[in-house]
Amino acid sequence: MTRHHPDSVSLMEYAAGNLSEPHALCIKLHLDKCPLCRSRVDTLNSLGAVMMEQQPKVSMSNDMFDSILSKIDDETAITDEPEIAPAPRVNPLQKLLGENLASLPWKRQLGDVSVLDITDRFPGQKEQVVLQKLAAGGKAPAHTHRGEETTIVLQGAFADQKGVFNQWDFVVLTDKDEHKPVAVGCEDCITLSVLSAPVKLTGTFTRMLNPFIR
Amino acid sequence: MTTLDKTPASSEGRKDPWSQLLQKVGKHQDREAYHALFEHFGPQIKYYAMANGMASHAEELVQEVFVSIWRRSCLYDWRKAAASTWIFTIARNQRIDMLRKMQRTSAEMPVETEDLWQIPGENENEPVTSLHRLMSERRVRESLSLLPEEQITVIAKVYMENKSHQMVANELDIPLGTVKSRVRLALNKLKVILQDQNV
Repeated sequence: MTRHHPDSVSLMEYAAGNLSEPHALCIKLHLDKCPLCRSRVDTLNSLGAVMMEQQPKVSMSNDMFDSILSKIDDETAITDEPEIAPAPRVNPLQKLLGENLASLPWKRQLGDVSVLDITDRFPGQKEQVVLQKLAAGGKAPAHTHRGEETTIVLQGAFADQKGVFNQWDFVVLTDKDEHKPVAVGCEDCITLSVLSAPVKLTGTFTRMLNPFIR
Repeated sequence: MTTLDKTPASSEGRKDPWSQLLQKVGKHQDREAYHALFEHFGPQIKYYAMANGMASHAEELVQEVFVSIWRRSCLYDWRKAAASTWIFTIARNQRIDMLRKMQRTSAEMPVETEDLWQIPGENENEPVTSLHRLMSERRVRESLSLLPEEQITVIAKVYMENKSHQMVANELDIPLGTVKSRVRLALNKLKVILQDQNV
């Protein structure tokens, strides 16, 4: 049972469809395991429907409906089965990374920390997306965060002064949060983090690819 | 769930005319029902596209959404979502899809829009329909009318113009914290009312 949830503002941005793909992925992974947040998103989807309904009315082209009908007739003519079956349920993370997180090409950083930058799986995004692994029982050095970091725990658990974050827990850290995470339990702790791109006025983007220790 | 049929939510769900029409499309490919849905939701979706900066693709989006409604209507389950909520999520996803396709020259999209944003009722492993879910659209509509204008303005910009809270803050020239607190106040109100009436 997850204890740390996305806040209602983030869930609203998600329901409105305003989040980037990596951010939406973090929320979706949490939703798949959290009935409470799913029911919040249901309400937020309904809010979207009601907002849409309350906007001014606009007129449509006269032939619009006919062209939709001819489009569906064309489709029906091509396929024998006009009805679509539900696509099999997929875990988007598995689609991206395969089944086994342990076998990914992790890069060992300092001490107990390994990282894997997966930003290139999200072409056209501004954010940096990284997987982080803290070895079972391992510690990361104390650090703060640059910009905003959204994290979801994919495996195991970690603890810091704010509490224990278990699998599918959701946490947002900012530059005001200094923490010193420790992997708890007997598994490696693996997290997925999305780092908001910091505003940089000059110079090149030289940033350590390690949100556990920045 | 046999008890479901005895709840007021069940009859409420059946009374929702749009959900009934959508069911007819799903079960019988009823074109009259489909046309009625188009008359009601088509202009809403067109306005949505215009508000969020896709004016030149507004009717294209309406078409995409309606073709998708036709194809998916067999999967629609009125117990999982009101028709308007279901159609909103399809419009939202089609908009995201169109933007993604415009932004990519290569068609390489390892994760599909629907892997990230689910349509209610599809691929769900929740057999039990929550009352909350059945009521939510009607409750939201009722409680929204009680919110102050300044909160509704922010919510409209987030949903219709697809602006982030930060962008809304910049545009209204108010601090981000104020925008977030307006949203939280509004959501608390919606939720509180939901809880009051569900318990």
